[in-house]
Amino acid sequence: MRSERNNAVRVVTDDLRQGRITRRQFMGRMVAAGVGLSAINAILAACAAVEAPADPSAVSTGSQDAAAEAPSLAGSEITATYMQSGTYDVAAETLKPTFESDTGITVNLVAAPFTVLVQRNITDLTTQTGEFDVMSLSLWEASAFQHLQPLDDLVARDGFGEDYIPALWAPGGSVFYGGQRVGVPYSADAYGVLYRSDLFEEAGVTADWETWDDLLAVAETLKGKLPDNVAPIVFSFGAPEQSTAIFYGAYPGTYVTAENTWAVERDLGAKALEVVQRVADYGPSDALALSIDEANAVFLQGKAAMIICWPSFIRAAADNPEQSAVVGKWQMGSFPGPGFIFLSAWNLAISKYSKNIEAAWEWIKAYTNPQNGKDFMTTYGIGSPFASTYEDAELLQMHSHDFPQQKANLNRTKGVALTFAAFEIQFRNMGEMMTGALTPTEVIERWHEGWAELTVPQALIELAEAQGQKAS
Amino acid sequence: MERTASIASQRHSRRRLRLSHDWAWLLAFVIPAFLVVVVVQFYPLAYSLFLSVQDWTLTKSQQPEGFVGLTNFTKVLGDSVFRRAVRNSLYISGGAVGVELFLGISLAYLTLGSRWSMRVVRTILILPMVIAPVAAGTMWRMLLNSRAGLFNYLLNFVGIQGPKWLASPDWALVAVILLDIWQWTPFVLVVVAAGAAGIPDELLESAAIDGASRWQAFQKVELPLLTPVLLLTAMFRLLESLLSLDSVYSLTFGGPGYATYTLTFFIYTLGLQNFNFGRAAAASWLFMAVAAGVIALVFWLHRRSDIS
Repeated sequence: MRSERNNAVRVVTDDLRQGRITRRQFMGRMVAAGVGLSAINAILAACAAVEAPADPSAVSTGSQDAAAEAPSLAGSEITATYMQSGTYDVAAETLKPTFESDTGITVNLVAAPFTVLVQRNITDLTTQTGEFDVMSLSLWEASAFQHLQPLDDLVARDGFGEDYIPALWAPGGSVFYGGQRVGVPYSADAYGVLYRSDLFEEAGVTADWETWDDLLAVAETLKGKLPDNVAPIVFSFGAPEQSTAIFYGAYPGTYVTAENTWAVERDLGAKALEVVQRVADYGPSDALALSIDEANAVFLQGKAAMIICWPSFIRAAADNPEQSAVVGKWQMGSFPGPGFIFLSAWNLAISKYSKNIEAAWEWIKAYTNPQNGKDFMTTYGIGSPFASTYEDAELLQMHSHDFPQQKANLNRTKGVALTFAAFEIQFRNMGEMMTGALTPTEVIERWHEGWAELTVPQALIELAEAQGQKAS
Repeated sequence: MERTASIASQRHSRRRLRLSHDWAWLLAFVIPAFLVVVVVQFYPLAYSLFLSVQDWTLTKSQQPEGFVGLTNFTKVLGDSVFRRAVRNSLYISGGAVGVELFLGISLAYLTLGSRWSMRVVRTILILPMVIAPVAAGTMWRMLLNSRAGLFNYLLNFVGIQGPKWLASPDWALVAVILLDIWQWTPFVLVVVAAGAAGIPDELLESAAIDGASRWQAFQKVELPLLTPVLLLTAMFRLLESLLSLDSVYSLTFGGPGYATYTLTFFIYTLGLQNFNFGRAAAASWLFMAVAAGVIALVFWLHRRSDIS
């Protein structure tokens, strides 16, 4: 173990000396290799003695600032929340010992299932308790964003944020309030379409669709050519909230009005809802009952030519011969328009009521950086928000069938500017439509009736405006 | 005469002293318990009643924003989702508890006795009751999978095309009822078995001597004796079933659409996901009214059974 670490240190130090990596990347890799901050500083100093500092500005990196500030932060204690998923929380647990020994900051990690996490975050913020310094959150907590610490100064001071995929560094991927950044993304996934390249070739179709009509035309061709036990498309209609991904993918209109209420453009909305219904027509016999795992299983068993899914939930299994019958036979295709691609992004944010904002920021920087983006993606399957992960030569060799498209998809994503209450009205009435109880037009009426009772939080008005989803 | 009066007076003052002494002890024992009841039960109830007439969404304000009268109640009552949730809850609880009582009584009588084989069977039968409802819901989700689930596999085996359990509004409701029945019939079994074991053998022997068949003995002797226990069991099960959230959450998540959206799901979403405390409190009081109606019905039946 120790010799492996020594080797890693030698390789990384050589890379730094020969200019193959920046000092920031050097710091990140050394921390990931479990090297202490003091040792890193010693190596950096030694390297600095060998190579004349050609660029004086390079000396003041965020990481070195961190090292300089470390003594003053030693002894402080922070609490950070994560979703209990066996991924984000486990990654944090792994990072904790090194971070604590290097900085002297004690980190308490609180992991909770999604709904509990959202409740605890919102309660802590709105009651101004300050129990949690660092919070894992997403747009579902938008109604409490006014209680988050603006991060623009810290980001600018430490030169943080390079290498992010642009759409993820923008509102939607990142959380903002009052025009100021209040969170930085550490995980992102974009809805995608995976398809069976072998079946497509046999059927003489290509995955060059731009719109849902194009994709459904491909599905129609496939329907006539696929074996009876293989469906053209599989999707998790049984997970009621998921079908909104197809709706927004097909919906090019606005859904926040000039008066700051929620409302979709009726004709465009009805057409998009029809697309959702049409997708189900190309599914297996039990299309409407499939949960996310069940839909993934259908694709992995080779029983569907396409799956519309969260790639991070299926990627690893699809490439694993023990779990998949489609290894080497699938690729990721473009997500059809004319709407936007549904984004799932987790941010780390700091509570305004934290007494340890600097220590909290140190933890965020240690957890969220390009090196960890790559490592966490390969180790835990956490979708990296950093461009370098998808451009990494080593990873590209293994993921030429999905990474380039995943990066392109991530850059086309947008956040959905809805609270859970508004979202629930949307997806439950869509569920009613899928069972035949409502028509698309009636669904839109129901949405508008339900939404009329709700207030759009300021953060979501700003988000809709920034993403072009607000009527002028 | 005077002596008698003095003795009476002494006795009276001694009794007064003992009474006052008893009162002190009585209060010393009762007051802490009374305070606990007030703090633990009445304060939250009173506070939730207060909230039900306030405008308060936590994400908008840290504190209640003012008195709104009965607005929260009228909004909840006017909400079609609430009405559907009430209907779903009554279907699920009514359907499930009715079947549970029938099956529970049947299974209890089928497994009566102290032979080891019966004890083993009873132990196996009560196992579902000790599984966490969330886990049971997840397990049933797999069993009811219309593609690879055991249910449809078995139905297919006997030549029946299984339904799309969780995709159809009606079948999803049936699935929730089936889960409740599977998990809570053992409770009825246990209670009825205990009740039946407590019926004196002499009564049954007398009935037999009088020429009653086994069915008649059950119908005319055992069932009337078991009725109070059965009514209480029905009340417990109805309340428990109405309050149930976790099994629905993990089995159907209230769907498809609003097909299995129950009262507790409605209140949970309103209060703990949308943080609309005022309206959630009003919905909770309406829920309590429904529950109180159920309890009143059971007590009324109880009294009628006593009279008859």
